[in-house]
Amino acid sequence: MRLPDAQQQPDVGFLPALQRRRLSRLARMLFHVAWPIAETQPALPLVFASRHGETPRTLALLTDLAHDEPLSPTQFSLSVHNAIIGQWSILRGDSSEMTALAAEGDGLEQAMLEASTLLGEGAPAVLLVIAEEAAPALYAPYIDDVPFPYALALLLKPGDDWQLQLRPGQGPREQWPHPLNLLRALCGEQRCLEHHWKNRQWTWSLNKA
Amino acid sequence: MSNLQLEIKNLIIDALGLEDMAAEDIAADLSLFGEGLGLDSVDALELGLAIQKRFGIKIDADAKDTRKHFANVTSLAAFVSSQQHA
Repeated sequence: MRLPDAQQQPDVGFLPALQRRRLSRLARMLFHVAWPIAETQPALPLVFASRHGETPRTLALLTDLAHDEPLSPTQFSLSVHNAIIGQWSILRGDSSEMTALAAEGDGLEQAMLEASTLLGEGAPAVLLVIAEEAAPALYAPYIDDVPFPYALALLLKPGDDWQLQLRPGQGPREQWPHPLNLLRALCGEQRCLEHHWKNRQWTWSLNKA
Repeated sequence: MSNLQLEIKNLIIDALGLEDMAAEDIAADLSLFGEGLGLDSVDALELGLAIQKRFGIKIDADAKDTRKHFANVTSLAAFVSSQQHA
C-alpha cells in the first residue's frame, strides 16, 4: 500500500525563515512533532530512529553524480543520517546526548532500548522520535513499509507503567507502520501489543490497573 | 533595478530556499553575509555553485576579490556581467 504524496510540508513556522530553509520534509516532520514536547522540558536527550532516512536527498546527490554535475554543498553537508539531530541540537541550543539509529522494521523497539539505557544512566527524561519519509518513485519497489510519511515523538520517563519484552518468535506483519499501531494502543484501551520482525517478537504490556 | 540584478535575487531565493522572501525584499546594496541578509558559509558555496551553473562562468573560491564580488547583489551583478563579456 502506498498513498499518493502531494508533498505537503509540516508547519515549522515557530522557526525563523533563515533557520528552517535547510530542513528537509523529514526534518520538518521531526521538528513538528517534537518541538512542542521539548518546549515543556529543560535539556532533553534525543533518540532518533529512521529505517530509510532521507532517501530523496540521497537520490538527488546520486543523480547529480550520475550526470557529472557538481554536488550541492547544502545537500552534501546534510547527507548523513545524524544530520537532522545535528540541526535539532543547533536550533534548540541543546547539547544533550543525541543518537540517530537506522534499524530495521523494529527500529522503534531498538530506539526504546537505547532510550532506556539513557534513563538507566540517570536522564530524567528522553525524547524518542521515529520518522519515515516516503521513498522517491525509483526506490518505491524496494521500500514497502512506508505507505505514507509519518513521525511519532514520545517523551519517556523512568517508570514501570509499560513493559517491553523481547523473545524469539515469528508472526504476521501488521498493515500499518508499527509506530502508529503503538500510538493507537497508547491512545486506546489496549493493554498489550505484539510486534514481530524477522525472528524477534516484541511484547508491549501495560502494567498498571 | 536591472534584469540581471532581478535574476540574481531570484536565484538567491531559489538556490538557498529562502521561503517567504521575494526579490523586492533584497535591496541591491544589502550585505548578503553576516549582518544584512544573514547568509553563512554553506550559502556562499551553494550560491557560488548556482551562479556558475546559471551563467556559465567560473569562480575561483581562493581569489582575493571573490569575497568582494559576493558582497551584495550590485557587486555580484557587476561581476557576472564582466565575466560574461570577458
